Amino acid sequence: MEQTGTSSRLTEAVQSLAADVVSALRSGDRSGVLCATAGPGADGDVALAAIRVLASDALLPQVLAAGPADPADLDVFGRAVRAFPPAPHSSPASCWSHWGMTRTLAALSRPHLPDLPGGPGTAGEPAARAGHRPGAGTEPDGAWLDDGMSWQDLTRRLAVLAPLAVPGSGCAPARTAAARTLDLARGFVRAVRRRDWLQAAGAARWLALAPDVPASLGLAGGLDFVQYMGGQDTRVLLHTDAARLMLTGAAV
Amino acid sequence: MVKLSSAERFTTDVEKVRETDIEAALEPQEAEGVYRDSTECAALALNAGTIGLLLSPPTPRPKKG
Repeated sequence: MEQTGTSSRLTEAVQSLAADVVSALRSGDRSGVLCATAGPGADGDVALAAIRVLASDALLPQVLAAGPADPADLDVFGRAVRAFPPAPHSSPASCWSHWGMTRTLAALSRPHLPDLPGGPGTAGEPAARAGHRPGAGTEPDGAWLDDGMSWQDLTRRLAVLAPLAVPGSGCAPARTAAARTLDLARGFVRAVRRRDWLQAAGAARWLALAPDVPASLGLAGGLDFVQYMGGQDTRVLLHTDAARLMLTGAAV
Repeated sequence: MVKLSSAERFTTDVEKVRETDIEAALEPQEAEGVYRDSTECAALALNAGTIGLLLSPPTPRPKKG
């Protein structure tokens, strides 16, 4: 009973947090999203766990924007990072997810310095790019996304790591996605046909960053379709909104 | 060997559940099923990928066995 109760509470908390992030993406009001989730009166453990599940996407509006993050949100995010580190037996997906969170936290915690050549932070530079300077941390093992993997498995694994799909992301999953765009496109279509909307939305997010997506895929129309069919899951909304923003290059 | 009290065992069980729930949420499994449409998926990706093409033909039912 406790396991079922915790799982359903976590699911609800993740859906609620994803909805808040979508609202912030659409409205441009980036501050206080996490404070509202994990503030006084909230179910502390479940709220932090929800942030852990959404991982870097909990701060996606700040990552995509060219401005500083709310210090209170960073504090809550940092608590989630520290509360749920990957265990020795954790899956590669969990390890990559946590790595993405530590990278995001490091990037958004840097002060925005004036534009200096080679400096650690450039005013107006999206946090995603700033996070890839030296010191962002050692990546987990990239063998989980090796070149010999089938396009079906590739898509499934990359979709799970969709929070890492942000502009300027130079990590191993991003390099793999860029190198296998056609396979990812196949996987996107497969996910749509299987009605796996979350996987389709995650794959679409990587495709939104790829420079050589076939125009014939109709990614923009595909995003509309996935959002229409799978939009009751707010994580699907989050991924499709993020993909659209990155496709158009619009700042949050 | 240190024996845990009932309260400590309950707390430990709850913590284990939370880690399991998080791991499951971070990597959801695909629903099983064989759709026999690998060729169609590639064709849809390479040809004019309008919403109309994504919708047709109807999704094949999962093959049993």
